[in-house]
Amino acid sequence: MLLIDCPYCGPRPEIEFAYGGQAHVARPRTPGSVNDQEWADYLYTRVNTRGVHAERWRHARGCGRFFNALRDTTTDHFIAIYKTGTPRPDTSGSSR
Amino acid sequence: MNRFRTAQGGRIDRSRPINFRFDGRSYQGFAGDTLASALLANGIHLVGRSFKYHRPRGILAAGCEEPNALVGIRRDSARYTPNVRATQVELYEGLDAVSQNRWPSLAFDWGGISGLIAPFIPAGFYYKTFMWPRRAWFALYEPAIRRSAGLGVAPTQPDPDRYSHRYAHCDVLVVGGGAAGLAAALAAADAGARVILCDEQAELGGALLAERSAAVDGRPATSWVSQAVTSLAGRADVTVLTRTTAFGYFPHNLIGLCERITDHLDSPPAHLPRERLWQVRAREVVLCTGAIERPLVFPGNDRPGILLAGAARTYLNRYGVLPGTRVVIATAGDSAYETAIELSQAGVEIAAIADVRAQVSGPWPDAARQAGLPVHLSSTVLGTRGRLRISAVELGISTDTVRPSATVACDALLMSGGYTPSVHLFSQSRGKLAWDAEHRVFVPGRSAEHERSAGACRGLSELSEILPDGARAGAQAAQAAGHEGTPRQYHVTAWS
Repeated sequence: MLLIDCPYCGPRPEIEFAYGGQAHVARPRTPGSVNDQEWADYLYTRVNTRGVHAERWRHARGCGRFFNALRDTTTDHFIAIYKTGTPRPDTSGSSR
Repeated sequence: MNRFRTAQGGRIDRSRPINFRFDGRSYQGFAGDTLASALLANGIHLVGRSFKYHRPRGILAAGCEEPNALVGIRRDSARYTPNVRATQVELYEGLDAVSQNRWPSLAFDWGGISGLIAPFIPAGFYYKTFMWPRRAWFALYEPAIRRSAGLGVAPTQPDPDRYSHRYAHCDVLVVGGGAAGLAAALAAADAGARVILCDEQAELGGALLAERSAAVDGRPATSWVSQAVTSLAGRADVTVLTRTTAFGYFPHNLIGLCERITDHLDSPPAHLPRERLWQVRAREVVLCTGAIERPLVFPGNDRPGILLAGAARTYLNRYGVLPGTRVVIATAGDSAYETAIELSQAGVEIAAIADVRAQVSGPWPDAARQAGLPVHLSSTVLGTRGRLRISAVELGISTDTVRPSATVACDALLMSGGYTPSVHLFSQSRGKLAWDAEHRVFVPGRSAEHERSAGACRGLSELSEILPDGARAGAQAAQAAGHEGTPRQYHVTAWS
């Protein structure tokens, strides 16, 4: 069971959290101005990373808030956890 | 008591005899025995039948690696546990064990006839061949096949026992309480870390409990163990769990432990649960899971009376039990010579030591030659004889080809094919194995978790390497968890 470090509550077991999918997927500001392909990409197209993946988690059975995390999908280790709205941290220098 | 029990020695309490039953007959063992050691002390090797051909099977090993000696343990009509390894059952007064997969009796098993027609049943033979005629399947074939296949029988009533669970957190979890595990736990505790040490046996010490020829810091190995155990027990930040098996390594260092609380008691108190599930979240884990001896491969290597050499040494030194009176040893390594010498000192006749290697040198082989034990080099086992117990070993000598050399009468054959590190938990933690070309074993390579392996489970074999390795791993784990400390030094010498 993963141990997830909620930026508001501290480390909690995985059962308290709900997965929120890929992070940094921005909704087009004016949906009416994008074409069908771009809208479909926004709705459905997600990366399937082998390695560091930016994703959203919600502390559903805790504070209830969303936050972002960088997780290595090969090891399941979290590399960084940061609040929603802040940019993705640079992790090019980290190993695991 | 009888000729398979040594006059003294071992970690059994000879002042406390314990009566138990196996297949309805009464026997006697001592406090500290396992069911397997007590049966061997009564001269019983035949304890089960194989799954398909009902071949007679005996006790092979002395611990959790036992593949053959599966028995059923019966307390009452609702408390019947099938498929328990006899080597892991602690003896208690009134223990009632039954053998499995035989009818009408263990010595005369009707199902053994399938061994005679075995040449006509190819591997993977499909039982639905018996489908025709259609009505005979339900009336005749299926009941017969169901009765002859399968091992233990499930209890018919609901389980009346209570089971509990507990969560725990610690800085360092040490899995395995042998030499490396004790040293690791001591080192981590010395540094001030909160430590949990678990071991699946009733007594901490692992292989050291059967060690007679080594001394740690000038004292016999077993006395070092008792001192280490006392030292650990007196610390507030150390939790020692015996009879506790680490069965699962889950992500982010969550380890599942199963603690058996009442299975070894003759009358379990009602307020105690039977087992307790521990879910331990550890900052760092030290795996000290040891190594398992490999058997040798030859025709008829499953006959009762054939044991692993290391297991025989455990039975001799820890339980005061002799595997036989006239013993042949087949080996591919040096460690079996130590067993040979100790058995010979205990009064067992060593009929032959067959070593597959062409040249052998080292302290133990040299000592065996000096003691006058018959060593056959370039020799291997071609086959065994005997029905319910081994009666002779057919040896062969290998030059360019292998040809028969001698038939040696015996009542036990000990085999040793080297040791394989127990890397199960490491692999389950998604660590990658590395090939150790020198010892020709797979050892833990790159870790995926905050975890390290120490001792025999990473390919070490000498106590003088294992103790410092455990201490170093324990200190490193404590340091990674934020506790500084320097590991103790250990001085390992020969003890005579």
